[in-house]
Formats: sequence, structure tokens, C-alpha cells
Amino acid sequence: MELYELNLNDVIEGLKAKRFSPSELYASCKQRIDTCEPNIHAFITRTDDTQPQTGNDGGIFAGVPTVLKDNLCTKGIRTTAASRILGDWKPPYDATAWKYLREAGAVLMGKVNMDEFAMGSTCGNSAFGPTHNPHDISRVPGGSSGGSAAAVSAGYVPFSLGSDTGGSIRQPASFCGVYGFKPTYGMVSRYGLISYGSSLDQIGPFARTVRDLQLVMSVLAQYDPMDSSCFREKNPDFTHREDVSLKGKRVALVKEFQDFTLDAPIAEAMTRTRKVLEDEGAIIAEVSLPVVARYAVACYYALAMSEAHTNLERYDGVRYGYTVTDAAGVKEMFERVRSYGFGSEVKSRIIAGTCLTEPSRCDEYYVAATKVRTLIAQEFARAFGETDYILQPVTPSLPHRIGEEDEDEMKVYETDLYTLPVNLAGLPGLSFFTGYAGNLPVGLQLIGPRWSDSGLLDAGVILERHLGSPKIANGGI
Amino acid sequence: MKLDEHEVNEIALESRLVLTEQELAGAVRYINNFLDMLDRFKELDLKDVEPFSFAEALECPLRPDTVISFPATQAILDESEHVDGPYFKVPRIVEAE
Repeated sequence: MELYELNLNDVIEGLKAKRFSPSELYASCKQRIDTCEPNIHAFITRTDDTQPQTGNDGGIFAGVPTVLKDNLCTKGIRTTAASRILGDWKPPYDATAWKYLREAGAVLMGKVNMDEFAMGSTCGNSAFGPTHNPHDISRVPGGSSGGSAAAVSAGYVPFSLGSDTGGSIRQPASFCGVYGFKPTYGMVSRYGLISYGSSLDQIGPFARTVRDLQLVMSVLAQYDPMDSSCFREKNPDFTHREDVSLKGKRVALVKEFQDFTLDAPIAEAMTRTRKVLEDEGAIIAEVSLPVVARYAVACYYALAMSEAHTNLERYDGVRYGYTVTDAAGVKEMFERVRSYGFGSEVKSRIIAGTCLTEPSRCDEYYVAATKVRTLIAQEFARAFGETDYILQPVTPSLPHRIGEEDEDEMKVYETDLYTLPVNLAGLPGLSFFTGYAGNLPVGLQLIGPRWSDSGLLDAGVILERHLGSPKIANGGI
Repeated sequence: MKLDEHEVNEIALESRLVLTEQELAGAVRYINNFLDMLDRFKELDLKDVEPFSFAEALECPLRPDTVISFPATQAILDESEHVDGPYFKVPRIVEAE
């Protein structure tokens, strides 16, 4: 077995036992990247040209390579959010999530591709071109954190970070055959995460085992005074335990989702996972989420676009990123910078957000959406009074081929129904591997009430034990 | 159609975006399809529903009100082409006729 094939916990154990050195591990990962990257194109910026020093030789991740989605700020290292408008911007500070990993000794191999400003679900809305799915390079890896998922799937690194505003960790994890975790909103600091929809954004990890996710979460889940939405005193315990059980736990399916069509392998995975849960002693139930099923997609996009239009006002070419120096006045400068700098999906969403928040339309659309969000959060709170977890698909279909996206954006948005309600209610969600349909992985999703993160990952450990762990993708080789 | 080309173009300009003809046609289609989707909200009685603010009650956390020096001031300024000494300098706000 090559070193790059080792999972995170095995890497740490091997390094501790001195079975191999950090340099050997680093060289193995770098070799793997050199071999597969022409096929996958996961990176925006590689930082593995010189052997870096580890942040902390005694830290839990001392010498462990990782990559970050390129919307996480890295001090002195180009951070683009996959947009032309940020140019070669080098942030003057680290995102807190990366700071925690760096202080724990993690080694950065680079910044990876994403949909521009995290707006998309294919990793194709990038100013740097599309990333390819390591299991089938003709297909999308999912998005927006497609580079983070592909890098772990192809064996570049044992774990990575992404961000999830409406499914951007869970959907690419499912498409690339790895585990992805979206923590409870407020669990992980967003300081240094380039904002898209601030009330929805959350940073989380990708890995090839659930146990590895637990380890990364144990480092990420710390209070940070620099993020006012980050909670104190939650002290979650992500310690891995083998003796966890689902006996007597209630796991529900959503009644209204039963009428929706799923690709056959996803429907089959639901049946198989349900059987695993029953065999483990869980009680399968049903919850009703009628407001979620009918209104969550519209509610989410209304709010996400409104927040995005505000968050993206800051890109004007004055302080950082792409700019022009010969504008006659500030209006011309802003227009030239923004019209060239933003890609088409981002422009569409900015215009939509501006439209929804104009005084003449604000009550009809934006304020209405905030009220629908209240109903959705209440509906989930009621549902979690009746059940411990909810089992559902991540997407209704397997990854499509690159270039074969539906041209009707609203139809594409509707396919996010299974992921984005989790963000609207601030819940945690685990995207887990269930097996393969041909060469393509099939993932499902388990969600829980707020702050059930550690229990959710314990449940994931049990599911992985029965459903099997994913293998490293061939990376187009 | 809820919004025509002229209205969408005005909204784009408010956002400091100048669209090509092709982009504008795409934006008109996109916005109108999106607003149609949002019409679903009209099926709900939202009169007595409070707008969502946060998933649970959260006391606004405050940091100590003390001055903290930021060591990377020069690194911030180095990222801009519009710098004059320790300041950012923008082009004139009131443009010449």
C-alpha cells in the first residue's frame, strides 16, 4: 500500500510510530497529485513546490497534508474564491479553521477549486475551469466544494476542508465517494471564510472514514470570538468510540419526499440503509415536512441571493483583487471591475438579490422568505421532537457528465431540495458512502437536530461498518 | 413576464454591473423564472409569522472594547493599486461632465 492511500487516523498512527516520516508521506501525496492532477484539475493554487515546515511538530496533525477550498483565507497565499475579481489577492490573515489545523501541525498542499463564490453544484462555475470527478473524469465532482471532495477521493490528501451554504459539502462528498460533514451553524468559526450567504455558510471536513471526520471536528469545533455566530460552551465530544449503538434510536423518512423520483441506485441505497438501521435496532419512522418540501428551495434561493448581493458589494477594485487604473470616476471603475470580474452565475444572483431587496419588492419576496424560514425551522423542531435523525438522499440523481447541465436554472435549483433545508434550519448533516453503482459512488444523508453533531457522526460510524468504506478513486489513470 | 429588459438593466446598474445584450437577455429570463418560483409564497398565510433571525436565542457576544494593533497593515495596502501613503485613494466620486 502506498502512503497516500492511508486514511487520516492511520497516517497519524504511522507517523507517531515512526513507520514513515512526514517527508515520505508528503512525497507520496505529491507524487499522487502530480500523476492525477492533469486529469482531475482539483487545484487552483499548489503550495507543494517546496517542502513546508509543519506548524506544530507536537500537534495532532503534525506532518499531515491537507488542502483547503479556495474561499478560506490563507495568510500570504493566493485566495480567489474561484473568481477573476479577487485576482491574485493574498489575505493578510488566516481563516480560524485553517489556523486551528495549522497550529495542530497540518501541512497545506494547496487551495482547491470550487464554484465561484460557492455558487453552484458542479465545480464548473469557476474562473479556473472545471474539476473532474476522480471516479469518472467525464463527470462533475459536484459543488461547490468539488475540489475538496475530489482531492480526498483521489488520494491527494487524507482530509480537506470545504464550506456548505446549501449542500456544498454534502453533495460533492456524495458524488466523489467520500464522507462530508456540515456541522451545526455556529459550531465552527466562519472567520476568514469568504462570505456568500452569511446566515447559511458553515465550514466542514471531507475524509475517507467517519472516524477521520470525528478527528477533524475535534480540532475545528472551538469557540472563536472573531465570529459572533460561533457558540460558546457547547464543548462537543468527538472522541471516536466503537461501542456506540443505534438501538432504540428513531430514524425517520420524510413523508412528502416519498413521492419524488430518485435514480434507481439511490432508491436502492435508501432501502439497503434502512435495513441496516433496522438490523441495528433503530426504529424507522416517518415525519411530515410539508413546508420544507414545497417552499424550502424558493425560500433558500431568495435568502441566499439577497445575502450574496450584500456580501459581494465589497468587490469594487479599490482595496484588493482585479482593478483598473484609468477610470474617469469611481462609478466607471466599479462597473468595469465588477462587470469583468464576476462570472455569469454570480452576476445573475447579484441582480436577483438586488431585485428582491429593493424597497418596492422587499416585503413581497425577501421578508416573506425570512418568514417562510421561520416556518421551516419550526417544522424541523417539531419533527425532531418525534425522531432522533432523518434519513434522506443527498441528490435525486448521480453525477451528470460535464457540459450536460440542465439549461433551466430553476430545475437545477430544485435538485438541491434534500440539502438546503438543513442550512435554513442551521442543522448538522452527514453525507455518507453507501456503495457503488458501476464505477460511480452513491451517497446518502443523515441529519439531526442542532448540536447533535457528535451523535450523528457516531451513527455514521455504525453505517460505515455495515455499508463499507469507500476506496480511493482511480483518478483517471 | 414580471420584469422587462429595461427594468432588469436598471437593477443591474444599481449593482454596478453593465451587461452585454446576451447577458441581459439571459438575466431577464432568469429573474422572471425565479420570481415565478417565489410566487409560491403567496399560498401561505404569513401575516402573523415572525421573520427568522437566528436558529436559537443568542446573546450578542461582545469582545472587550480595547484597541488591538493589527500587524499586517502594510500587507493590506500592498494588495491595492489605489494607495496614497497609508490610505486608499479612490477615483473622483463626482465625475466630470
